[in-house]
Amino acid sequence: MEDYFRFTQTLFDPSRAKDKPEPLKGIRVLDFTHFIYGPTCTGILARYGADVIKIEEPGSGDMLRLGAWWGKYWKHTNPLSHSLHHNKYFVTINLKKPEGKELVYKLAEKADVAVENLAAGTAEAWGVGYTQLREVRPDIIYLSCSTYGQYGPLRFFPGWDLLAQAAAGTITITGYPGTDKYYKLPDYLGDFYPGTLGALVVLFALYYRKKTGKGQYIDLAQVETLTRLLPHFTYFSITGQDWERTGNVDPSMAPAFIHKTRDSKFVAIAAGTDEQFKALCTAMGQNNLATKYPTELERLKPENAQELNRIAQEWVSQKDAAEIVNLAKQHGFPAAEVVDDYQITHEEWRQERASVETFYDEMYHEFILPGPQAILSKSPSKVKWLCRPVGYHNRYILKGWLGLSDEELQELEKKKVIGYWDDRPGAKPPIYYDIDTDPLFNYRGNGGGTA
Amino acid sequence: MTTTQQPKEQVLIRYGGVAAAKREREQLLASMMNPEGKPEALEGVVVLDASYANFAGIIAASFFAEFGAEVIKIEPPEGDPARKMTPFGVTVDGVGIPFLMEARNKRYFTLDLRTQEGRKDLVKLAKKADIIIETFPAGQMDSWGIGYRQLSQLNPRLIYIAITPYGQYGKRAEEFARMPDSDITAQAASGLAAIVGDPESSTEPYNWPTRTGTWMAWYMSGTQAAMGGALALLFRELSGEGQMIDIATADSYANLAQYPVIAGNTWRKARPRLGRYDFSMCPYGIFKTKDGFVAIAAGRDNDFRALLKILNLFKREVEEEFKTISDRITDNLPRIDQLTEILESATTKHTSDELVTKTINYSLKTVRSKLSGGGIPFVMKVESPSTAMKNLHWYVRKSFQQVDDPKLGKFVLPVNFAKMSETPPRVKWVSYEIGKDNDYIRQKYLSE
Repeated sequence: MEDYFRFTQTLFDPSRAKDKPEPLKGIRVLDFTHFIYGPTCTGILARYGADVIKIEEPGSGDMLRLGAWWGKYWKHTNPLSHSLHHNKYFVTINLKKPEGKELVYKLAEKADVAVENLAAGTAEAWGVGYTQLREVRPDIIYLSCSTYGQYGPLRFFPGWDLLAQAAAGTITITGYPGTDKYYKLPDYLGDFYPGTLGALVVLFALYYRKKTGKGQYIDLAQVETLTRLLPHFTYFSITGQDWERTGNVDPSMAPAFIHKTRDSKFVAIAAGTDEQFKALCTAMGQNNLATKYPTELERLKPENAQELNRIAQEWVSQKDAAEIVNLAKQHGFPAAEVVDDYQITHEEWRQERASVETFYDEMYHEFILPGPQAILSKSPSKVKWLCRPVGYHNRYILKGWLGLSDEELQELEKKKVIGYWDDRPGAKPPIYYDIDTDPLFNYRGNGGGTA
Repeated sequence: MTTTQQPKEQVLIRYGGVAAAKREREQLLASMMNPEGKPEALEGVVVLDASYANFAGIIAASFFAEFGAEVIKIEPPEGDPARKMTPFGVTVDGVGIPFLMEARNKRYFTLDLRTQEGRKDLVKLAKKADIIIETFPAGQMDSWGIGYRQLSQLNPRLIYIAITPYGQYGKRAEEFARMPDSDITAQAASGLAAIVGDPESSTEPYNWPTRTGTWMAWYMSGTQAAMGGALALLFRELSGEGQMIDIATADSYANLAQYPVIAGNTWRKARPRLGRYDFSMCPYGIFKTKDGFVAIAAGRDNDFRALLKILNLFKREVEEEFKTISDRITDNLPRIDQLTEILESATTKHTSDELVTKTINYSLKTVRSKLSGGGIPFVMKVESPSTAMKNLHWYVRKSFQQVDDPKLGKFVLPVNFAKMSETPPRVKWVSYEIGKDNDYIRQKYLSE
């Protein structure tokens, strides 16, 4: 039989991914989201082939466009907007105008999914909530993302990533015991993770709709998705005590920690099973430990775990990182060097695997994007275009999907129902780009788009 | 097993009503309060969880189980070693806390894949299954004759999810095929640990890369595996074909949180660790109070000014010094330390609850006023898991379920993380005994 890795190489070959079909082909999503939480959800749907129409306010667009961290814009954009918003259609609609609402209802007739992450009840008050959109599209799946959910005493409480983390208890679990050193989950993970779970729930709802033809309303609360990550509640209910922080040590395996090596790098090692522990003992040249602590539960007793971690930490500090990883590979226990942003982006194997994707875009040229959340052999994800300026797809969608004429568009522009970018970084096209010759922005077709 | 007493629908209507919303919306929300008796999204989907010593697989299986799939946990007679991975060695009836937490709506079937008979039974099960999850070394199942290559011949509709540290294809996957997976190594290898911890200038070991206090890498990989499965289910509806899904835990954080690659690409260097601070916004972090900590997010200039007013710090020297976003960039840590010190000099005079109330009252005034500049700083009390679950809000939303098991006693699970009007997820039962459903499974799937 063919060698396994040759077989999988052909099966998953990233260079062939662009010719494969998309799992969400034909699914249409109305996207009323902003910042990170909601856009993460619609971004995943877009990456796997759904047509996502991102509805923004004319002018500035999504606030995330405008704030690049430390003021570091990339080609007049917030670089994060490319990983959040690739493959989306950018349409501006002023929801405060009655004509704007009309446009949304017309789009909703053709939509399968709608997603919003405004404060609880706001979408409803603006006339684009579930109860309103289901009038025009009864089988729509409508996801409302909020911090505390749509009902309950705290529903109007403001919040985002950090506040949700504070309310869910994820801030107090990371850090060092007996100190004031608490660390939040980094990088707005309190937005990214709930957004990802939101996408998962929408996929389940789409599956149910395929089977039964029924749409539904989904109320996703950021805090609840974060509490789903914590066995700490169960731990507390059983032991009556809060699970104390353990710094760099994983208290559920012994040994398991991150430690500094001889060459001043950092390595994580773990021994989660008896075999892994034996392998580690052999690598350390301490086979006596394997006989002394034969079972996992014996090793996890706090005094034993402390001792084992101490021994293994000492061993790690006397070896180079590469040496430890090699020994782990050879003997069969988990070990990995701590890698930083730069290494992740540039490690050859990630590029090869397409865990990190280099994409060439018509407007922004070469850009390196994080890979997809899951790699599928027959219907993989695809990057088709990066983020676009505010209102870039107005003509394409409104003419192509809704069949509006040029005169009607001009009328809407004049009434400020639709509009284009303000002259500010994040919203406008890059300075070198000739937008007047762009065929999509100046879409000339009429009624013949993807509709 | 009994669940907690249900709050009355009246309570919900009181807490769900929105001034601008119609009664229709209130009715909708009231109808969503109770998941019982409603259909399930994944009814009829059969999932085999053959994961071994790996919680990413167990967690993925949990997501399918919560949404109504029949999930069969396959493990050798001595049990999955994951049963014993538990903080400080705490077990109940021999089972660890994390395993108990994920033991929702599952069936337990004993099958030793090291033996020929075990593999034969697995083939029989796989013919009737929709999804299989496995976490063995890449190529291991294949060498046993029960990998994707073989099973997809027998059941072309099968969705095969494989979870490993470095994936199923490419040089790295092959080189590291025999290396087992763990959460802490995946946190290290996916870029998470590198940005948690104190800045370089702090003391050892606080300035080292730090692990997060829950199995973040395993939870993210599990979620991604379930996502792959859900996408493949939808694709199967279009094409009639199953497929293979490759999840590498070393991808988990970088691909979910996006920042590592974006920063590594556009900065061409790694970001430093910033301790309690944030990259993009300041103030955005936790601050000491009289009785604990609050989280404060007031990144925009008007939010920041409003925060100063609330804290009674609106003085010329503070306001001028830190006026705009570019005065509060976290690349100059001594400056930010100085700002934090000023803010904490005020926050420590109040209790956390006082600060939250003050901010809310201020914000309510601002949103109604055209004159105050619209600043809305966000302040929230930092809760530990034990205090977080006590809030009435979670009781109304039934976010925690109390389980009363004859053998295990009473314990609490975080449940129902999404509220759905048609097919809400739910925890129907919690069970954990090895081989508990052997007869049921044999009869239902292996009797011919």
